[in-house]
Amino acid sequence: MDINETLEILNRIFRQVLKKTEITLSENTTAHDVDGWNSLTNMLLISEIEQTFQIHFPFREIVKLKNVGDLCRAIISKTN
Amino acid sequence: MKTEDNFKILLDIMHAANQHANRPAMVIEEETYTYKDLIGQAKSISHTLCNLKESVIGITAENRIETYASILAVLLTGKTYVMLHPDIPIERNRQIALQAGLELLLYSNLGDQVLPPDICVGRVCTTSYKPTYMAEHELYKKMKSNVPAYLIFTSGSTGAPKGVPISRNNLDAFYEAYQQLGWQVNENDRMLQMFELTFDVSVVSFLYPLTRGACVYTVPQHGLKYLNILDILERHQLTFAAIAPSVLRLSRAYFPEIQLPALRYLVVTAEATDLQLLGEFRPCIPNATVINLYGPTEATIYCTSYVIPTEGGKHHNGMAAIGKPFPGMEAIIANEKGHPLPPNQTGELWISGPQIMQGYWQAPEKSASCFVYRNDGKLFYRTGDRCQIDEEGDIIYCGRMDNQVKIQGFRIELGEIEYRVKQFYRNLADAVVLPICGPQGNYELHLAIERNATKEIAELEAYLQYHLPPYMLPKQIHLLNCFPLNKNNKTDRKKILQIIQNKDEYGYQ
Repeated sequence: MDINETLEILNRIFRQVLKKTEITLSENTTAHDVDGWNSLTNMLLISEIEQTFQIHFPFREIVKLKNVGDLCRAIISKTN
Repeated sequence: MKTEDNFKILLDIMHAANQHANRPAMVIEEETYTYKDLIGQAKSISHTLCNLKESVIGITAENRIETYASILAVLLTGKTYVMLHPDIPIERNRQIALQAGLELLLYSNLGDQVLPPDICVGRVCTTSYKPTYMAEHELYKKMKSNVPAYLIFTSGSTGAPKGVPISRNNLDAFYEAYQQLGWQVNENDRMLQMFELTFDVSVVSFLYPLTRGACVYTVPQHGLKYLNILDILERHQLTFAAIAPSVLRLSRAYFPEIQLPALRYLVVTAEATDLQLLGEFRPCIPNATVINLYGPTEATIYCTSYVIPTEGGKHHNGMAAIGKPFPGMEAIIANEKGHPLPPNQTGELWISGPQIMQGYWQAPEKSASCFVYRNDGKLFYRTGDRCQIDEEGDIIYCGRMDNQVKIQGFRIELGEIEYRVKQFYRNLADAVVLPICGPQGNYELHLAIERNATKEIAELEAYLQYHLPPYMLPKQIHLLNCFPLNKNNKTDRKKILQIIQNKDEYGYQ
């Protein structure tokens, strides 16, 4: 799986969890850029991502993720 | 307290700054600032301020050294500060500026857009100020002033924000009492400041460490706050943290991974603390004393304290007790007629003492409704909180006065229903019960649950029917993915009410 494929799946998850169809993520996207992505919804997003990709993010890894690009790379390294 | 004696907190900060000039005072966005840097910058801004006649100074709330230096500068020059938050709607900031009689705005990186252009105040950018090392004796003359140290605006029931003026004497009374809680804190401590600067717990989270020569760690405004807080606590091995319990609720999934052995004090504040949740967090903080600190803004930050023991903490419906009044403060539980109630009876908490503000800012009618002179001549502030005092003198928090409703003539405490719901979900789901006026003008109870729990609703209803009388059963149950928090990290009950009424689960940020 490459970055673009991962981004596509993340777009789907974000649109579904945040109930906003217009969300399009890029590698540089941060929580600040997405309406509704906050401390509360982040819990739901992470849990949905973990279920979809069948992976687990420990706390130490989560705090290091600075943008969606970091998130994609972390997912790829766990799934490949 | 005489004016010439006052502002001990600031004198202690200046003393500590001289003693520990080259030690770290603040770490902001991974940048370390020494006492010399911080106070130098504050003095430099003071230099400008002390030549101005303006006394009510607005400061844009930013996570920057200039912002904190500006607060110190306003205090040093005997003026009053009002924080303006860039995330708060500009119209509300306009109302605050007009009500406060704002005369000058200090801003840093974000510019002066926190106020609309038509608000006519002087605007001063503080980023270009270079630290100066001017003589202190001039400042010491200025800092002793009778104008409030700060004004904090809280939401008023009429929709217009209410200004709470805290005087230098209030702040010193708080400081004196706070020190007597017995903190063992010195220049080696690393202490958290996680609160928005528009919320008064930030005042103690920032000023108190500086009186001891300790180092203050602020939380970045970008990214996700609870993750930033845990990250800073762990990576910088903080020794003292005052947090809102919502931080624990959000990070519950990571408790097995979090280890904070350096933490010696955990203060829980800003909203009621769920003892069970705290119990689950205890293994993460094996060396910390946990203290519940309570207080309305009107009584200067905190005015009661309770050390929560590892086992057997006092509580009401799972919410930790708030303990005993601070030294110098007095608390009574009053019934509807204003008569003090005996131990273990529930009424409104009234508090009195030198930490109580003198009255809302230019709003005598609002002040009249919350202050009461008792027969002994003492002025009491009515907190609007429902409490009891037990035989040992500990105050037990039972919820807000307005969380109590009468339905079919029965007095109902909403917290009790919430407690049962949380018990049903083994504390894995949060619950809020709200009374909503039904079509016949009667109140109906609506239950909001933070969880995807559709399957268990029938079981929950059966459980509640078993434990609660029929008039306490919610008429409708609403499932919300997650509860909105307000700026002060408290569960936003008003927002939940809006969501329920608009049937729009996701209509919040």
